[in-house]
Amino acid sequence: MCSGRVDPTIILEAFLSKADGVFVGACRRGECHYVTGNLQAEGKVNLTKKVLSYIGLHPERLVMEWMSSGEGGRFVECVTSFQEEIRKLGPLGKGEGIGTEELQLKLTAAQRVMEGKKLRWVVSKRLEFKEKGNLYGEVFTEHEISRLFDEVVMDELTLQEILLRLRMEPLSAKTLSGMINIAPSRILRHLADMKRMGLVSVSTEDDGRSPVWKAV
Amino acid sequence: MARLVDEMEELRIGVFVCHCGTNIAGFLDPREVAEYAGTLPDVVFVKENLFSCSQSGVTEIQNAIKENQLNRVVVAACTPRTHEPTFRAACEDAGLNPFFFEFVNIREHCSWVHKGMAEEATHKAKDLVRMGVARARYLEPREPIVADVEPAALVIGGGVSGLTAALSLANRGIEVKLVEREEELGGMLRRIFRLYPSNIDAREFIARQVEAVEGHPRIEVFTCSTVEGLQGYIGNYRATISSQGVNKREVHVGVIIVATGAAQLDLGEVYGYDGKRVITLIELEERLRNGELGAKNVVMIKCVGARVPERLYCSRICCMTSIKNAILIKEKDPEARVHILYRDLMCYGVDNEALLRKAKESGVRFINYSLERPPIMENGRVRVHSDILGKEIGINADLVVLVTPMVSQDGVEELSRLLKVPLDGDRFFLEAHVKLRPLDFATDGIYVCGTAHWPASVSESIEQALGATARASTYLINKRVTVEPIFSMLLDEDLCRGCGLCASLCPYAAIEMVQTEKGIKAQMIAVACKGCGTCGASCYRRAIKMNHYTDEQLIAQVRAAFSG
Ligand SMILES: Cc1cc2nc3c(=O)[nH]c(=O)nc-3n(C[C@H](O)[C@H](O)[C@H](O)COP(=O)(O)OP(=O)(O)OC[C@H]3O[C@@H](n4cnc5c(N)ncnc54)[C@H](O)[C@@H]3O)c2cc1C
Repeated sequence: MCSGRVDPTIILEAFLSKADGVFVGACRRGECHYVTGNLQAEGKVNLTKKVLSYIGLHPERLVMEWMSSGEGGRFVECVTSFQEEIRKLGPLGKGEGIGTEELQLKLTAAQRVMEGKKLRWVVSKRLEFKEKGNLYGEVFTEHEISRLFDEVVMDELTLQEILLRLRMEPLSAKTLSGMINIAPSRILRHLADMKRMGLVSVSTEDDGRSPVWKAV
Repeated sequence: MARLVDEMEELRIGVFVCHCGTNIAGFLDPREVAEYAGTLPDVVFVKENLFSCSQSGVTEIQNAIKENQLNRVVVAACTPRTHEPTFRAACEDAGLNPFFFEFVNIREHCSWVHKGMAEEATHKAKDLVRMGVARARYLEPREPIVADVEPAALVIGGGVSGLTAALSLANRGIEVKLVEREEELGGMLRRIFRLYPSNIDAREFIARQVEAVEGHPRIEVFTCSTVEGLQGYIGNYRATISSQGVNKREVHVGVIIVATGAAQLDLGEVYGYDGKRVITLIELEERLRNGELGAKNVVMIKCVGARVPERLYCSRICCMTSIKNAILIKEKDPEARVHILYRDLMCYGVDNEALLRKAKESGVRFINYSLERPPIMENGRVRVHSDILGKEIGINADLVVLVTPMVSQDGVEELSRLLKVPLDGDRFFLEAHVKLRPLDFATDGIYVCGTAHWPASVSESIEQALGATARASTYLINKRVTVEPIFSMLLDEDLCRGCGLCASLCPYAAIEMVQTEKGIKAQMIAVACKGCGTCGASCYRRAIKMNHYTDEQLIAQVRAAFSG
């Protein structure tokens, strides 16, 4: 098994199981036993870090280090500093001031996002986009790819979080906006999209002022 | 044939905790670990062994499997690197599929690294055992894959490397298809005069090899030809050879050897190159062969275009080539003055050092210069700042030889794409591992030798060609390839949308997109798969299952890690 096997959803599974930190060790760049698996892992880890920070967790809780199997000393250094760093951050959620239930919901949303087509596709194609360009031969810089990720991650996360919250109870866009901390106009745009996808419906218990949304 | 446990059969897990003498038992409490293991779900048998890997330990495990109808075996001991085969074999001999064995390392991962912390180490060993048991619950039986190997080889490139490889394989009874894009076989050696260090005639030497190849009943030579298409995997490649750009033929081979050589860097008109008074190394070889040097004062400038920012590597053969030719000039005309302007000297090995000494004794002058102050050409003179003398000197020159490095062959990108094997930053073919697998590509069944891989001398090229054929012969002679059944597979054809992401990520070309009745689907080639799992970690449809490292197994292990 290679670090290329590290699936972001499994990293999130660890956090959902109450891990305070996750450490991914991979072969050094250019020395991957499985050719390019380590670079794939790097992309996935970086993306997962982004997702962690979007849901309000310290991205430093996820660490990736490069080393060969012959570098015992380096392994010890990396694990020790990882351990110290996590100790400083404190228990997951507590260190960030997020309550248990809220944390579970956010992590579940994050796991769904990492399960989704868009991100899995983009993160895997990252290297190709950088080296060979996309279908149209446009080559992307790391910065552009990162911006692309930002947009997709934000959108996908919001969508999943809305869905999870609506599954628990019908809510108005305004309430959702308060809970997720995103402008009502953006929430509404998402809701409209989600309605088109058949994920949500506007509830009939309309009080006349702000409509209430429900998961389908 | 090992017993396959029925899906409906109840789980009966046996856990064996090894003391490893005092290696484990000296630093943690195996009894406590074993007792704990007995409390885990579906664990029906627990035993401590003094040495699980000893004959008596293995017998204890086998008896326990039989007496307690165990269908999963977890051994908490040392490392799979040394002992996984032992325990897998033990399971198999006791009638249990070897893939129902799970190894937990409580020595390297625990007792050895937590000496003097017995309590914590015992606690961690329990965690590790709990994780192992959790994964064992999801283990599945597997059978090794055996595939046939077509006892034939495709050799690409007909220089000394390709010729050597072809002869070596054919002499072992293997059918060889040798593809050379030029009209004639022989490669670079056709253009060289004498070979260092032996001083034999390169053309005579290569002509003998060409003759042997052309007359060999098991070698078919395709000149003016290239490989245009390739499909398949180790043991079973189908290559399309195109001759003169028109005749196409498909050949069926088990392995491929890449021996496409290298070229000499052509920098055009640097240092006033004119092909007459300023020439290249290859042009010097030609003049020496024809016996018409036409100069009394020869200056060779080394590292022209080598070890510069755009080409950092040392081409390794140029120092000796210059020295070889300098000696030849002096032997023919002791009055001639030969200067070699160098940055460093690469004269490795006893024979080469002897030649360097000989050159110095016969009066060849060596002058050291630095990258920052390259030699300057003047009418009939070369000016150079000698780093050793610390001053500039002028040398009369009626012939200047530019010694440029070997660079990658034309057309390597195409070939690399076709064979799906990588190139390095300098566009030489990149081996699987610089030390452990220097002649293999990461993709099984494809090998590299000679200057296609890196600048090398003739003897190095021959050694590599023989090495590559030895590697390939393991499969060709057995006519079979056996692969660990740890490969990815399509879990559910209906889930696959045929997007091709997995195929584009696979570093081993082990996934093909094929047209099926249900549309385009991924097809895994089990024998070519190395089990890295990148495809499984990337598929957004979860249509790919990575055998023996399945999502269920990994998730169970992760959850168990934190459930203690
Ligand atoms: C000027 C010079 C002097 C040298 N002197 C010495 C010396 O004295 N002693 C020594 O030990 N070494 C010497 N060498 C090094 C020596 O030339 C190499 O070690 C040797 O040629 C390597 O052989 P090869 O078969 O790997 O490659 P090559 O000899 O380059 O042969 C490769 C063959 O592959 C063919 N080919 C390329 N691409 C394709 C393709 N896509 N399809 C089909 N065919 C293809 C080429 O046409 C060529 O025939 C010298 C090199 C140079 C440049």
